[in-house]
Amino acid sequence: MGLDWEAIAFVVLSVLEVTFSILLVTSKRLVRAAFWLAATLITVGGIYLLFRAEFVFLIQILVYAGAVPLLFAFGIMLTRRKIMEEPGMEGEK
Amino acid sequence: MSAPLVPSLFGSCYILTGAIIWIVDKILYAIGYVIPPLNGPLAALGGWLASPAVLTFLTWFVMVLVMVIWAVLLNLLTMMWVERKVYSRLQDRYGIMISIWSLPLWPFNRRKDKATHRGWGFLQNVADGMKLLQKENIVPAAADSMMFSVAPAWIAGTTLMVFAALPWSSGLSVANLDLGVLFILAAFSLAPLGILIAGWSSNNTSTLVGGMRSAAMLMAYEIPLILAVIALVFTTGSLDPQTLVLQQEQTLVALGPVSIPRWNLFGPQVIGFIVFMVAIVAEMERIPFDLPEADAELVEGWTTELTGMRFGLVFGFKWLRMIAGAALLSILYLGGWSGPVFYTFYLGSVPIPIIPAEAWFMLRIYLLGIFFVLLSWAVPRVRIDQILNIGWKRLIPLALLAILVAAAARVFGYVG
Amino acid sequence: MPEFWINMGPQHPMTHGLWNMKVKVDGETITDAKPEIGYLHRGVEKIAEVREFQKVIVLTDRLCYVSSITWSHAYCLAVEKMMGVEVPERGQYLRVIALELQRIASHLMWLAAYGPDLGLLTVLLWSLRERELFLDLIQLMSGARMNQNYPRIGGVRNDIPENFDAMCKRSIEHFLEKLDTDYEKMLHESKIFHMRTQGVGKISAADAVNWGVTGPNLRACGVNVDIRRLDPYETYEEIDFEPQVWKGPDAGDSYSRFICRFNEMRESCAIILQALEKMPKEGAYRTKPPRRAEGEGYVRTEDSRGEALFYVCGDGDDRPYRVKIRSPIFCTMAATPLMLRGNKLADSVAILGSIDVCVGEIDK
Repeated sequence: MGLDWEAIAFVVLSVLEVTFSILLVTSKRLVRAAFWLAATLITVGGIYLLFRAEFVFLIQILVYAGAVPLLFAFGIMLTRRKIMEEPGMEGEK
Repeated sequence: MSAPLVPSLFGSCYILTGAIIWIVDKILYAIGYVIPPLNGPLAALGGWLASPAVLTFLTWFVMVLVMVIWAVLLNLLTMMWVERKVYSRLQDRYGIMISIWSLPLWPFNRRKDKATHRGWGFLQNVADGMKLLQKENIVPAAADSMMFSVAPAWIAGTTLMVFAALPWSSGLSVANLDLGVLFILAAFSLAPLGILIAGWSSNNTSTLVGGMRSAAMLMAYEIPLILAVIALVFTTGSLDPQTLVLQQEQTLVALGPVSIPRWNLFGPQVIGFIVFMVAIVAEMERIPFDLPEADAELVEGWTTELTGMRFGLVFGFKWLRMIAGAALLSILYLGGWSGPVFYTFYLGSVPIPIIPAEAWFMLRIYLLGIFFVLLSWAVPRVRIDQILNIGWKRLIPLALLAILVAAAARVFGYVG
Repeated sequence: MPEFWINMGPQHPMTHGLWNMKVKVDGETITDAKPEIGYLHRGVEKIAEVREFQKVIVLTDRLCYVSSITWSHAYCLAVEKMMGVEVPERGQYLRVIALELQRIASHLMWLAAYGPDLGLLTVLLWSLRERELFLDLIQLMSGARMNQNYPRIGGVRNDIPENFDAMCKRSIEHFLEKLDTDYEKMLHESKIFHMRTQGVGKISAADAVNWGVTGPNLRACGVNVDIRRLDPYETYEEIDFEPQVWKGPDAGDSYSRFICRFNEMRESCAIILQALEKMPKEGAYRTKPPRRAEGEGYVRTEDSRGEALFYVCGDGDDRPYRVKIRSPIFCTMAATPLMLRGNKLADSVAILGSIDVCVGEIDK
């Protein structure tokens, strides 16, 4: 078969990665952005896997996909930013 | 040393897939016999299915399916049953009683008018699962509905990913990776993001605080966990579960007929073992460290707004994480599936050990499971600042000490 | 995150009843708190004005369903003072036994609720198991497990069965053994339990007195106030017992409240055993009270939760003209924001569980 599976995988991963990163920078909600960041980093990891760099791929998943979005989200939540949209959150009427 | 009952999961599944395709082929032939115009295309389809490439491809599907059924349907339900029975005994009560005797059509019931609740209660969890399946899936009006749906799938999916690389014996595994332990840890560490997403997207104060706690305590237990594994690598030099277990099969001390195996626990890794044990309890979200779903102050924590099978998934998969954690602990420190084989009998030419490697492995998993159950029902829950203290001020220095000890042992010639 | 309010209640695992604790959190730290009560208001004081003296006991029983006898007893005592009725000695001793049995049952119910607050569900099941012993004894005395209607104006409803002494002693022996083994290991020796309760929800003795905190919660601050000693009623004068006062460091925290209540159960056992010894074996257990009365009766007793006060005023009719109830947890509730501020969110359960909230008597 003449198909180059690796090229196809690369194209798919790249398209996904670009899409996710656009979603990441355009989404207004913090945790959504964190989710898209994780998705972007996992697709980057997929490209590492295409390079036969399994160790880098696993470290990418372990450190970047698992921890970094969470830390970003957590760090931003520590600021006095309003992260929930519902008006009833103020509690006191 | 004990041999596995399934020498190669791929081989077994290859035969299984072949059998399935053979049956499908016969059915296709029968359809073609009844409807003659379809005869040609169906024969071509049957031939395509039987071609080696397709067969191999389908075998992988069957393998994954077998592993999911093995892990989720059998071990998850058994572990839940063990937990509910064991803590019921601790609390001086019988615990779950619904078993096959409670089924309405079970023929041996003396009372036909009424289900009897006797027996060991194994079907209670099945009944609970069926109840959760029937429940309505409510998405709160103010919730971020997309993220609300993604979060349980994320948690369940990443938990199942663990079982892609987790071997149950030298044969019973889906994929044997050189960096298997690292893969399992990576898959393990993805769930807290799902918890944060679930907590935030429900748009509820309790769930939000639960999700935040998950994010806050992630670093406190994840870093010691990885550091303990790094300490282990110093002496073992491998992250492949198979190699780790092979190393631990060797004899440390021979005492006549009994020999003590060379488990990583017996040696310089004992500090790392303690660190790993504490951190894996936090990773499994069991009671001393189940802060994200502290049911006393946050109603059910981050799962408060989840309903139906969404709740069922995240609730039930906690036990799957427990199984994975116990399995990882036993592979890394307790000799994995190694154990003595007392007798091997032959079925034709196939050797069948009376206590196969899988049984030794599951014995360890369930004993560790009972240990975790007793632990989590005998201690209160710690506070968020206390778990951060334990993680950063106790576990990380201990893990660094474990690395030092392991490095020193390596310098002086200890190979695990 | 900005500070936000979390409603803990009216439907919440923490509340043990129908009330709402609003806490304002900054991340995990509580910056403000506001108890919201009144969900269970039944107007007991007002209903009492239209019922005859005897029939009010039904209402006072329901003030707090885990501690019925102590409340009915306080009411009966107030009415007896107003009428000038003297209870026979055997009746007084029976009352003391019933009160202390009820105190143990109430404290066990508190312990059962406090365990799950800290994530320790096993204690719930164990405490309820031990509570059965005392509910059985109360049932032997009064015939009911809940809402016993046992104290009557002028005595108690009925005498105890013949072999009550032996059964009581056997149960108490078993219970004390359990306290020394199971609970000692599960709670006193648990490091995590200490971490969760010590130094949490502190209130100084001066603050506690000023806010009207009474009972075990006040004794946990190191103040030796026990109405059974200060203003003895029934036959408590003749019984030798020691009010449980916290003497160690960190007075007024959740752990000291826990210890005070826990040791009070042991003390109550001792009181029951003494009362069984000293009780006259024969004799009347009640007198007939007059039907109508005029005057004022005021009494304060040591309820399981603190100082219960009853004021009954009669105008010569067969009904009370006015009944005033002072319930201990109603006053303690006002002091909870003081205890909560500055602690972590998870501490709110460790604090509110330790003061032993009973919504029935708060809302009256």
